[in-house]
Amino acid sequence: MGFSTDFKSLDAASVHADAVRRKAEGWRFVQILAVNNEDSADVIYSYMKDGLLDNAVVERLPRGAHLESITDAYLEAFVFENEMHDLFGITFDGLAIDFLGNFYRVSTEVPMTIISPEKLAEQEKQRKLAEKKAKAAAAKAAKASEAAGKAPAEGAPTGASAPSIDAEMEAKLAAMPPEKAARVRAAMEAKAKKATADGEVG
Amino acid sequence: MGKASVIPFGPQHPVLPEPLHLDLVVQDETVVDVLPQIGFVHRGLEKLVETRDYNQFIYVAERICGICAMGHSLGYAETVESLMGVEVPSRAEYLRVIWHELSRIHSHLLWLGLAADAFGFESMFMHCWRLRERILDIFEKTTGGRVILSVVRVGGVNRDIEDSELKVICGVLDGIKAEYGEIMSTLLTDMSVKNRTVGVGALTTEQAIDLSMVGPFARASAVSYDVRSFGRGAYGHLADFQPITDAGGDCYARVKVRCLEVLQSIEIIQELAGKIPAGDIAVKVKGNPDPGARAANVLEQPRGECYYFAQGNGTKHLERMRMRTPTSQNLAGMLEALKGCDLADVNMIILTIDPCISCTER
Repeated sequence: MGFSTDFKSLDAASVHADAVRRKAEGWRFVQILAVNNEDSADVIYSYMKDGLLDNAVVERLPRGAHLESITDAYLEAFVFENEMHDLFGITFDGLAIDFLGNFYRVSTEVPMTIISPEKLAEQEKQRKLAEKKAKAAAAKAAKASEAAGKAPAEGAPTGASAPSIDAEMEAKLAAMPPEKAARVRAAMEAKAKKATADGEVG
Repeated sequence: MGKASVIPFGPQHPVLPEPLHLDLVVQDETVVDVLPQIGFVHRGLEKLVETRDYNQFIYVAERICGICAMGHSLGYAETVESLMGVEVPSRAEYLRVIWHELSRIHSHLLWLGLAADAFGFESMFMHCWRLRERILDIFEKTTGGRVILSVVRVGGVNRDIEDSELKVICGVLDGIKAEYGEIMSTLLTDMSVKNRTVGVGALTTEQAIDLSMVGPFARASAVSYDVRSFGRGAYGHLADFQPITDAGGDCYARVKVRCLEVLQSIEIIQELAGKIPAGDIAVKVKGNPDPGARAANVLEQPRGECYYFAQGNGTKHLERMRMRTPTSQNLAGMLEALKGCDLADVNMIILTIDPCISCTER
């Protein structure tokens, strides 16, 4: 027997009917899990038959939503439905063995929906990286279009390239920790002042 | 029929090393209904995926359970490899199976010792654990750890086993096999063991299929389902073996299936040790899982099929990691097996199902 996995979308209203159909067709229940999004959750129902691990995904289920329990078709699902209620705040209507929120002893309500500071920091880092990449790409495109147009006199700064260099620098500074960025800015200002002073003296 | 009353069982009980609480509804001496309660050791390990990168999380995965440590690290690594399209070198694949089967032997011997102790065979408990020590010695010699091995990594394994060392291991397993054979035949032919297990907590094949049971619990009800034969990390193509099943469906059948699986694991290890290919033991894994990429996998742990799911988000941290352990899947079967049994048989039924609460709660 081979082994394959599949992920397909499932409508929230069809969860129970899908389970009943699968039970009649001889699918084995494997598990239910939830994946937290910013303001919703994806719920994945897994079944197996003839080596196919089929994962039916209910996407973007709003926070605090209700789903119909499948425990009348698959009693063994009571563990997962109670677990998801306690950890993700999803309520299952018609649960065969309902612990009413006392399945796990959790110190924080629906802990799996809380986005941790570490994850927030990671998201912020990713956002800045994306911004930096976008700015770099824009600068590169501007340079390329300029090069394709009129070639400037040798060594002469151009109105278009000077801002693009500034934009690149700004993007770099945005990606740095604030303290480091401030130090770099101060160093750049000092350098610029010195260059101006040298020019005046010269 | 007498009045129904509720008798609490656990969470601290002499036959259970882990906290499982059952409310047993009894009439006279017969259990008519059971309500389980877990949640005493929930640690939220799946949440830790947010703060540990996909390479670091392997060390969290193997700490889910001390008995299934090797299996969890293997299942996790295989799922992440599937997510990132990583192909593991052949030698690493063999080494993983050898350690995984050794851990199955260690798990089954641990369980057999506890079961023997519950039967009142204290010396057999000591013999089983003495044999298990030899397996732990092999772990220590080949990985440096006795329980938490930390030998699997995404892309392969961290350590190799020399071919000469593999021969020594095969010799040790031969010794274990001879001694274990005596223990097993004593246990399986003993009249007092049969009196306590034959016909107790029986489930039919239909019930086992209906409740989606997994592992030796299902195979003891003649369900020929073993994901070692067909999962992503399956090794049906590496070694010649068939799932061990029994039609009894009762406690005795469950004891028998686990006992025979120890011998089967020894044979698998010896077969693989004899034909392990030379080569690298790991490949370098670069990059991060793609945003939104999903992978699911199943692996046969000592207690049965374990499901793993991973979802990437483009960073070195996974968006979600999920392990569905065999005991979670078998809880419904356990409730069914307990219904209608004698109060005195409850501990024997639970022991022969071998639930792992630590795995279940993660």
